[in-house]
Order: sequence, then structure tokens, then C-alpha cells
Amino acid sequence: MEDSDRGDDDAWEPPFIQPHRHDINKFGRYASPDQERARIDGHDIEDLAAAYGSPLFVASERRLRENVRRIRQAFENRYEGTVVHGWSYKTNYTSALCSILHQEGSWAEVVSRFEYEKARSLGVPGRRIIFNGPHKPRESLERAIAEEARLHVDHLDELSLIEAIGRDRGECVPVTLRLNFNTGYTDPWTRFGFNLESGQAHEAAARVRRSRHLRLTGLHSHIGTFILEPRAYGEQARLMCRFLAEAEADGHTGIDTLDIGGGFPSMNALQGIYLPPEQAVPEVDDYAAEVCAALKEGLDGRPPPTLILESGRAVVDDAVSLIATVTGTKRLPDGRRAAILDAGINILFTALWYHHPVKLARPKTGEPEETVLYGPLCMNIDVVRQSVRLPPLVVGDRLVINPAGAYNNTQWMQFIEYRPPVILTHRDGGLSVIRDGEGLDDLCRHDHVPPHLAPPLD
Amino acid sequence: MASDPQAFLRDLIERQRLQSLAVSSTGFAFDPRSGQSFTINRTGLATLEHLRRTADIDETVSALSTRYGVPADMVLGAVEVFVRQLARYLV
Repeated sequence: MEDSDRGDDDAWEPPFIQPHRHDINKFGRYASPDQERARIDGHDIEDLAAAYGSPLFVASERRLRENVRRIRQAFENRYEGTVVHGWSYKTNYTSALCSILHQEGSWAEVVSRFEYEKARSLGVPGRRIIFNGPHKPRESLERAIAEEARLHVDHLDELSLIEAIGRDRGECVPVTLRLNFNTGYTDPWTRFGFNLESGQAHEAAARVRRSRHLRLTGLHSHIGTFILEPRAYGEQARLMCRFLAEAEADGHTGIDTLDIGGGFPSMNALQGIYLPPEQAVPEVDDYAAEVCAALKEGLDGRPPPTLILESGRAVVDDAVSLIATVTGTKRLPDGRRAAILDAGINILFTALWYHHPVKLARPKTGEPEETVLYGPLCMNIDVVRQSVRLPPLVVGDRLVINPAGAYNNTQWMQFIEYRPPVILTHRDGGLSVIRDGEGLDDLCRHDHVPPHLAPPLD
Repeated sequence: MASDPQAFLRDLIERQRLQSLAVSSTGFAFDPRSGQSFTINRTGLATLEHLRRTADIDETVSALSTRYGVPADMVLGAVEVFVRQLARYLV
């Protein structure tokens, strides 16, 4: 019989027997894979991989814009003052994605000299840059002050340095104090900023008040990451309002911004969370309602300061997908099926803490089975998914991993493999390469070989 | 404990484990001894049928190779893995 004459019933696939799981999710049956070919903004996955190679990051301009508008709108609908979104560069500082968000009106929230310089190179004026983070070199602070960036102060030594620069320039430098405290809902992040409960924050505010070269214009806090409890933000807003009132009573009358940081979750599956993201992740409106109700009460008729949000992953995570290709399959000694992909934790760093949703790009054939997905690295830790139900896979199958937009294009590492390109699907249906894939020259550009080691070697 | 696939298969048959497995034509299987249920894929059903009838891996491989038109060495590796799965699950 010719292959072309064989029906699906006559097609060979390795036989398997799969025990039924009894820890099935109580909210329903496992979803069966889609019968349709997967697409991103109308683009066929196979076509994208054929044109740009695999692995491949694909960012959606449409989704990115929708996400940031939805988040900002949720707060603008409820808050009487101005709402500003500060785009968290460290979440994904691919230039084109930053530019989309700046077109949408987002400021830049940066945490290093590199990120500051990148924001400026993308045309963001200093006054629309929030300079955060625990390490700001003097030269970066001098530039940021000269360019009127907003400085979020992490510790007293930094405050002293800013004061010294202000003295040298003969200026009174506006500063925002970063606060940390216990909301009762999440583990407090005490390493950043000034602690409220210990009195450190009040001490810092007093230090600012005594200085002729510093003035307090903002309060900031960031209570954590992937926070699934909106009430945590309500309590955060209450505590910040209380501190604001105390600071104003002490003479700080110029506080015009409250920055509640980020930490809103994306629709990703955090490891250790029992519920699927559709069940576990609240709507952004729930967060906005808690925050804005607490602000209304806490501000108590005071003119509302500008409210700054620094949401990162909730904006970009599901706007970026990773296309990967199966390069091999095997059956493990314990009976599990395994597949080796051309993408691993070298480019999908977040596989260390997410159970990333994975979808087969082609229509499914065969019975789904628990499958281990390994990356390409010759390292035992390179596991994309420890267990995911997928139909039988063959070499060349394309998988789509989404969400993959937060912290991967920044925390990815050049390790063993080249890093792949990133493309953007435009709102009008077009496509652009927004980051080239790496080649040998990219990786060796910074290497220097002393003359006595130069090839040819004997 | 047996270590090679043919020995695994012989052990399963001697203990009546393959014969006692209740299997539907759609691939649902039930082991009355353990109470565990399973899904067996289409080629797994065909493989199980041959294993039960012949009790021999080589004969099963030959039959499957002919039926599906794939090389015997490719079928052999897959059938051996399948037999090891059976031995693991039908303890």
C-alpha cells in the first residue's frame, strides 16, 4: 500500500497505555487540544516558522495595546486624579515593544543605568522616566537630575548622594521615597525602600525635610509580584495614604504622586497554584476597585495626587508567544513520553516558575498523553514542562507557548545556543523583525585573543 | 524480576495479567485486580491483541510491521517500550 493511500487508522504511531489520573481538576475535564491550526493575529504558525525560523518569539502589537489600555482604563474609570502607567522596562525592554507602550502614553520605569539610557535613546524625556532600583551610579543620578527624571529613593546612602548632587548643582532635588510595609496579605518585600513599621520611612522623610537640597514629591511602594489578592493593594493604598497624611502634617506639602508599583498577575500558571489561571487570576477591575476605594477613603477630600502604576507582566505576558519545534521524541524508562524542543530555559527562563500553557500548532491526531518537554541544552535542568497533556508528537511539530512575554526577552541567557529573533505582528496585518537572531559574530564581538594565542594553532 | 521485554511479557501472561485486562474497542481498559483504568491508543490495541494471541514479541512485531508498512526495527523498539509499560502498570 502506498503511504498516500493510508487512512489515519492505518498510520503508525508508537503504541501506549496511559493510566487515568484521579487528581483531575475539580472544575472540569482537561481541555482537549484545538482541532484548528494555531494562528497568531491571523498568521499561521507554520508559515511564521518557515519564514523566520524556530525557535521564534512573536509579539502582538494589538494585544499589547489592548492590555495597557484596559489596565489604565480600569483605574481611570474609578480615580478622580490623573493615572499614569509606567512601563516596567525590566519586564521586556525590546525596543519596539517599549515604543508601542510609549505611544500609548506610558512612561518608562527603569532600574539601572542601562535602562535609563535605553529609555532616553527611545526618545522618552527625563520627566517621563521613573528611576527606580537599589543601584543608581552617581553619573546616572547626575544625568537623571539634570533631565528632571523622577527619582525613587531606595536607601539613606542614596538619599545622601542625591543631596550632595543637589548641593553641587545648587538645586533642591525632588525625590520619591520608596516604602515597604506589611499589608497582611503577602510576604513583605523589606529589602527595597524604607520600612514603615520600624520608623525608617519616617526617619527618611524627616531627613528630606531637614535638607535644603531635597524635597519630597512622591511616595512609592511595590508589594510583590504575581499577587492574586486584590485586597492586598487596597491595604497598600490605605497605608500609603496614612503615611502621606503624616508626612503632610510634618510639613511635606508638595507630594503630588502616589506610585503603587506593579505585581498584577498575568494569565499564566504559576507553579504551586492549584487553580488554573482562568480561575485564580482576578480581573484588573478587581484590583482597580480595591485601590481606588481605599484611595478615596484615605485621601479624605485631599486633591488627588497622580496615581502611577508600574504593571509589567500583566501588560506584556500574553502579548508574546514562543514558537518551538520538536527535534526528537523518546519514551522514558518510567513510561512517560518525552519530547526535545529547540527552545529551553535559555530563552524561556520563566519555565522555572510557570507551568506555561503549550499548544500544538497543527490539529491533533492520536490520544493525548502526559508528556515531558525538554529544551535543547545539555543540562539536566532544562525542562520546559515537567508534564503536559499533548497528542503524539513527531519531529518537526510546532508548539506555541503563550504567555511568554514577561521576563524572557530580558532574563534570557546566551548559554550554549544562539538566541532567536523576535517578530511583531502589526495591527494592519504586517510583520516586522524587531530583534535579530544572534550569530557567531554577535557572541564573539567582545572576545579578544592575545597575539600569542591567535590561530593557526600547532 | 524479569529484565528483558520478552521475559516481561512471559511473566505477564503467566500471571494472567494480560488476559484479565478488560479492553473496549475504543481503547478504554480496566484492570479488575487494581481497579485502575487506562487509555490505550489505536496501535496499542492492535499490539495488545497480537501479544495476547502470540505471546511473542517477534511475531507481534512482524505482524505490525506488515500491517502498518513500517520497518520492523522501528516497530520493535516501540513494542518493547509498550511491553515495559504493561509490566509497570499491571503489577
